[in-house]
Amino acid sequence: MSDSPVTTHDPNADDTPAEASPQEQKKMEQAYAQMKRKMSMEEIGKKIKHKVMVLSGKGGVGKSTVSTGLALSLAQQGLSVGILDIDITGPNVPKMMGLDGQRLHVESGRIHPAKGHLGVKVISMAFLLDSEDTPVVWRGPIKLGAIQQFIGDVEWGNLDYLIIDFPPGTSDEPLTVAQSLPDIDGMVIVTTPQEVALLDSRKSITFSESLKVPVLGVVENMSGYTISGKAPPGSDIEIAAPAGKTLKATANDAGEFSVTLDIFKKGGGKLTAEEFGVPFLGALPFDPGFVRGGDDGVHRIVSEPEGPSAVAFAAIVAALQEQIVDDPGAGLEII
Amino acid sequence: MKSFDGENMTDEMPTMSRFERRETDVLLTYADGSEFSVTYDDLRHSCPCAKCSPLRNEDEASKNLRRQVEALPKEKPKVRIVGNYALGFEWTQGCSSGIFRFERIWDLANRRDPDNGKPYVHGAW
Ligand SMILES: Nc1ncnc2c1ncn2[C@@H]1O[C@H](COP(=O)(O)OP(=O)(O)O)[C@@H](O)[C@H]1O
Ligand SMILES: [Mg+2]
Repeated sequence: MSDSPVTTHDPNADDTPAEASPQEQKKMEQAYAQMKRKMSMEEIGKKIKHKVMVLSGKGGVGKSTVSTGLALSLAQQGLSVGILDIDITGPNVPKMMGLDGQRLHVESGRIHPAKGHLGVKVISMAFLLDSEDTPVVWRGPIKLGAIQQFIGDVEWGNLDYLIIDFPPGTSDEPLTVAQSLPDIDGMVIVTTPQEVALLDSRKSITFSESLKVPVLGVVENMSGYTISGKAPPGSDIEIAAPAGKTLKATANDAGEFSVTLDIFKKGGGKLTAEEFGVPFLGALPFDPGFVRGGDDGVHRIVSEPEGPSAVAFAAIVAALQEQIVDDPGAGLEII
Repeated sequence: MKSFDGENMTDEMPTMSRFERRETDVLLTYADGSEFSVTYDDLRHSCPCAKCSPLRNEDEASKNLRRQVEALPKEKPKVRIVGNYALGFEWTQGCSSGIFRFERIWDLANRRDPDNGKPYVHGAW
């Protein structure tokens, strides 16, 4: 799509024919629609206080889990939150938000988001699919046009946060969004502790510099698996862990204990963050409840609002909010 | 300023309080009252973006980048604050992509190599 919504017009050509040709008319209509969209994007930019992109180098590392988790955790704070799911390769946000099978709701030319758990507003590419199994094959320009439309034509209302879930990798979508939506606060990069995922997340960080969108931080997902149990208060527990290691714990006064198994190599997300000098926002445990939640439509944060995963999300959100400044540059004078 | 416990982070970097754009350099003032100047040429030569960084891997390419930067018309950049950890500079010509972390600018102010001798991280691109 052209960047300039206005077609050139010769001011001396007073003798414009009274009737424009159908093609000309169509062009004018398109230009008008484009201009309206651009204005509405600016308007939307103002109504949404903070916009956060969620990216990963690889698929399946938990980008959508993190996007929905961030949104729900922010909503738990009482903030108004929206999620824009433009992962065309596998838009699974609706499922995680209990909105499976929803279709796009359009009213007088505006798209209205669906409301998921905790009142989080959701727009997803999945709303355009006939059935869950329809593969979405989009040609580049159509896809990017749909994204612009999703940004410009959605009636979000006032939001404190908009979380945007992207397809994996460094593709065109982030660029389109970064160019269409003004004042993006930055991006969160999701990775797992494995080497391959880390390598890809390094790519995302470099990519962010070329987009001119700051990296708000790195989240390490599926970081460890916590086993909890009961034993007589004060008793010592030993658990045989992978690689011949032994994990030890002591049951507390209530007779509860927990140990964490590192499924992948630990701490890689933190190291990547340090290598690039970007913030490390925190780690999320491996929690089978996420998988169940994805299947039955009740997100982990909703099913267990005070469980370990919800607590981990709250810590990540706190670290994220520390990076997002309401008044950027307070204290720095630029002259 | 938030600090991370990475080893490449500069210890005890004071908070930048003033960024004064002069004709060919910037005068930086830090919260502890210290002042430094960094020329725009130095700033632009050390651009951390994915395109410019690899060019500083080799002496010849780096000198070339330097010459290109010096050949650009002298101008004051537009400055934008990135998150709460970096600044971005917009120039009418040349590269405006890099996000300069405050640590990088602090290194430049102290005449240290902000790349630490390894500007290009393998695996990125
Ligand atoms: N921390 C976690 N613990 C357990 N399973 C997880 C975790 N994070 C994600 N998953 C599961 O991994 C799969 C992929 O996650 P998803 O968020 O859809 O990844 P992406 O959006 O990156 O493709 C899903 O089945 C999800 O439930
Ligand atoms: Mg996904």
